[in-house]
Amino acid sequence: MLSVLARSVGNAFRNKVRSGAVVVILAVAIGLAMSMLVANQAVGDRISALKGSVGNNLTVNPAGARGFQGGGEPLTAADVTKAKAVAHVSSVTGTLSLRLRTETATTTAQAGTQAGTAQGGPGGGDGTTSLQSAVEPGTLGNRQNQSGAQSGQGPQGAPGSGNGGNGNGTVRTFTLPVSATGVAGTEDANGNTINVTSGKQLSNFAATSTQALVGTTLAQKNNLKVGSTFTVDSTKMTVAGIFDGGTVFDNNGIYLPLAAAQKLTGQTGQISALTVKVDSIENVDSTKTSLTNALGSTRVDVTAGSRNLDSAVSSLASVQNISLIAFIAALVTAGLIVLLIMIMVVRERRREIGVLKAIGAPNRTIGLQFVLEALVLVVIGAVVGTAVAVFSSSGIASALVSANTATAGARGGRGGFGGGGFGGFGGGAQLIGNLTTTIGPGTLLGGLGAVLLIAALGALVPAWLTAKVRPIEVLRGE
Amino acid sequence: MLEVRNVSKQFKSGDHTIKPVNDVSFSLEQGTFAAILGKSGSGKSTLLSLLGALDKATSGDVMVDGVNVSTLPDGKLTAYRRNDIGFVFQQYNLVPNLTAKENVMLPMEFARVRRSERQARAAELLEQVELEADVHDRKANRLSGGQQQRVSIARALANNPKIILADEPTGNLDEQTGELIIELLRSLTRTQNTTVLVVTHDMALARKTDRRFRLAKGSLAEEFDRSRAR
Repeated sequence: MLSVLARSVGNAFRNKVRSGAVVVILAVAIGLAMSMLVANQAVGDRISALKGSVGNNLTVNPAGARGFQGGGEPLTAADVTKAKAVAHVSSVTGTLSLRLRTETATTTAQAGTQAGTAQGGPGGGDGTTSLQSAVEPGTLGNRQNQSGAQSGQGPQGAPGSGNGGNGNGTVRTFTLPVSATGVAGTEDANGNTINVTSGKQLSNFAATSTQALVGTTLAQKNNLKVGSTFTVDSTKMTVAGIFDGGTVFDNNGIYLPLAAAQKLTGQTGQISALTVKVDSIENVDSTKTSLTNALGSTRVDVTAGSRNLDSAVSSLASVQNISLIAFIAALVTAGLIVLLIMIMVVRERRREIGVLKAIGAPNRTIGLQFVLEALVLVVIGAVVGTAVAVFSSSGIASALVSANTATAGARGGRGGFGGGGFGGFGGGAQLIGNLTTTIGPGTLLGGLGAVLLIAALGALVPAWLTAKVRPIEVLRGE
Repeated sequence: MLEVRNVSKQFKSGDHTIKPVNDVSFSLEQGTFAAILGKSGSGKSTLLSLLGALDKATSGDVMVDGVNVSTLPDGKLTAYRRNDIGFVFQQYNLVPNLTAKENVMLPMEFARVRRSERQARAAELLEQVELEADVHDRKANRLSGGQQQRVSIARALANNPKIILADEPTGNLDEQTGELIIELLRSLTRTQNTTVLVVTHDMALARKTDRRFRLAKGSLAEEFDRSRAR
């Protein structure tokens, strides 16, 4: 066996120029195959990451309610437990949305209009705060305030509305309430991590916690820094961090620990909405149904987030397919190269094969010798090719992805989806981001295994041909 | 003991049937040095290939020590070629990128002889065919014709065959070297009791043999020459 291997290695380099050329060609084919395999895996990983991280949110609201509008019964901690038990649910975040009236505004209003008449902010408030809203009411705020005040008049303003009711809408000075969200972790109601720009995330989620996060504009308006204090329903809260929510509306809000927010406003155990993360985008629809069933369709409304990720995922999936096909094609090419070169070698050495048979070599020894000779060439080609792939696969994968997303985008535009389609896709392309490839030992071994297998297959035909060579070839003249 | 009984070989070439070997019978005692003479194309090489199981006869039997080689299955034929026959060719047919010693070791490798044993025996055989130690590790394609033919004889002897079949062993050699090779083959019949059958048209070679046959148009006839050199 050892001698057969030694002969095979020796034979592989009998014609150094040809063997060198074959190794180079094999290296290119194998390098391409390995690059494609790596690209395939990188894209595959990215697809599953995308499917598991974006567009897989479900929002659970109390039936008939959205935010501060509508009615119905609030969700409870029991609903969180139930939602967590549903299949394919990877996480459940409960949040409590509050609107806090500004204490000073209330005082002013009380002074001007008698006690008890100014309770109705738009839609009613959940508590009070020392903070001043950073957003001026403007036309929209005043319009809401009026309708809110009028609609709120009946139930809320009833005790003291006898004489002051008329003058309320016009005399009263009005400031917008500050929106507060009770959170149980570092994520907001949409499941995204709160972007804290200075200070720290909330860390104490006990009911007695006094930590709070304040939006940038709200902090500016009220001269708050990390460590400053303000009150919520007369309880002193400390600013743990300042966050940037990206929008004027978001930055006019605060985050409180959920339990503390519930306790402060007397809504213990109540939750306004649940954000449910599903393990993969594929399971969103089925999970939506099972979640509705688990919580009761009369009690909750379950809504799925936007799905514009689909186009990104499908274009990535086509890249994955292309790279898989290219991997197979490159492998087959490598196999064909081995096949053809070995057929050539066998024809060239018919006489020598005849000699070996004449001096008593069994067919399988000769066949093995030729298979090993082919494998020697392939192994050298694979080593060189893999080295090339290590350096080039990242570029190839990125090129594949960007080329494919560009064509997909152009196709979308031509297809008449117009700006919407394209915009949706733009979002997808952003989500794809930069593709980074790494060659793991598993990928490497799998790829090399496939290369060796196909090379062995390519060498088997010539080996079979050697078995067909008759020993009498040895007597044939040159 | 080599016995050949009514061996024929025929090929179809288009519409014609060619019979290069036609009903050939002869027998050789162990240790005989014999020659088959004939013109080019007389079927000498075909007969040799039938005796060495390189090809199968259309009819007839080749018996070696009572074993009918003609009826052996392919696997046994390989073993027969490996263990009972040694070939020496006009073109030497050494594996060019192996050394002299490695070439001699090849048949022993196929016979599954241990490596150390192979090396020892190969060196011994090369000494026996009078090749100096300094050429043992030289690549076959770096050897002269005479040296190559010696290596090929050493290779033929590797597995202690009963019969050595030589096809024009001196055909590519100058007269002097040819004579040395003939002497070598001849001495084998004496020292090892090996049967040596040489196919040749070289009369100088033929004169040194114990028995001579002439093959003409596929038929074999023994020649009894009075000027036999013994």
